[in-house]
Amino acid sequence: MRRFYLPTLLLMLLGLASGQTNPSYINAELQRLIQAGGQNYANTLLRQAPDQALCSIHRNKLPAEVLGPFIEEQRRSIKYPADGKLMGDWKQGEPIFNTLARGNCFSCHVGSPLNIGGNVGPSLEKYGQRGTSEAMQKYTYEVIYNTWAYFPCTVMYRFGHNGLLKPEEIAHVVAYLLDPASDFNTKPALKR
Amino acid sequence: MGRFWRLVGAAVLALFSLVVLAQEEDDPVKEAEKQKKQLLEQSGGILPSDLYVEQGEQLFKARRGPKNASLEACDFGRGPGKLEGVVGRLPRYFFDTRKVEDLDSRIRTCMIRLQGFQPQDIRRSDVVAIAFYIASLSNEQPVTVRPLMPQEKKLYELGEQLFYLRAGPRDMGCATCHVTYVGKRAGVLPYSDILKDKRAASHWPAFRYSNDQAWTMADRIRACYANLGMPAPDFYSEPIIALTLFMNTQARGARMDLPGFIR
Repeated sequence: MRRFYLPTLLLMLLGLASGQTNPSYINAELQRLIQAGGQNYANTLLRQAPDQALCSIHRNKLPAEVLGPFIEEQRRSIKYPADGKLMGDWKQGEPIFNTLARGNCFSCHVGSPLNIGGNVGPSLEKYGQRGTSEAMQKYTYEVIYNTWAYFPCTVMYRFGHNGLLKPEEIAHVVAYLLDPASDFNTKPALKR
Repeated sequence: MGRFWRLVGAAVLALFSLVVLAQEEDDPVKEAEKQKKQLLEQSGGILPSDLYVEQGEQLFKARRGPKNASLEACDFGRGPGKLEGVVGRLPRYFFDTRKVEDLDSRIRTCMIRLQGFQPQDIRRSDVVAIAFYIASLSNEQPVTVRPLMPQEKKLYELGEQLFYLRAGPRDMGCATCHVTYVGKRAGVLPYSDILKDKRAASHWPAFRYSNDQAWTMADRIRACYANLGMPAPDFYSEPIIALTLFMNTQARGARMDLPGFIR
């Protein structure tokens, strides 16, 4: 397992030493292999972003010297809704949270009264008990917008960063989670 | 008072049995066994996978294609026509094609070379049925895949790198779930432990009773990519063979359960 880890790391350090700042995981041979999978497949995989490359190189456990700059860069990518409101309309957040092809949040988190939750992510049951303070809204919004700013290389999608949800849509999901009137907080969560 | 405690006792017992039942359904292996038994009872002893095996045997032995030949001379690594246990030895390097091939791509190679089929005329459903037939002759045999040839070692390394590669709009990759979240559920099934659980790769090809589909490892890999919001690699392509080689090597020593019967 480990025998490929060291050479890639060394290669990367070498790359850094030669003034190359963007880390790369895909070498010429891996690129040729991926291209053999067909054009659509190659187009997606070969477009690997530098931060995705870092998580691949370090197998999702970033070393201390990489961690700081990584988190800083992820934080810089976060954008907010134009009207500045981080808590939108919980009724618009509900279908986003509960639809496979949109947020798909329920697949990994317990808490929804509409879908049985999974356990890949932490339980969000009665998330609204944490209150609606500005800090709580900001934290919730930012974790959904770019979870790697808080949990580097975790499995959760970076919804805002990767353009899967608009800032306003993320604010609706924040409301679904935090608004005391939201079904998420007034109705019992479905569990297995 | 006595009646009250009897009622409480009954309620506790009922709750306990519910918990036990729920636990049984949580284990996909036990759940599949239960479903298999049920299907066998309903059908009088025939599983849907038996029908694929039967169909595959007919396709394998029939004289077909422009060359009007059967596949009986196909070499899956133990010599022409020797089929017992071959699934546990694939993927491996073949000198005739100078390629590392898995079960699917080797069947395709023989359909092209022995029967004279053009690649575009090869039906996927035929390849799957033939894979089921060959798999049935490897049941309970061990997985012995060990990359030794330079070509095999190279492809194993690339398969491992591909396994850990994260990409796409959801930042996904195989290891993201099958290493980091082993045993956890997103949806119905818990993620299998591809690095440590030898059963994970040793039951392919398999019949999926939940959607009545016959799948080889290639179909499984392609479905994973689709679930991750990424385009899948083409059938018979090298990324599929590389990932299969990596996974089957982790399964070395397992006794194969073929064709598999899974959710």
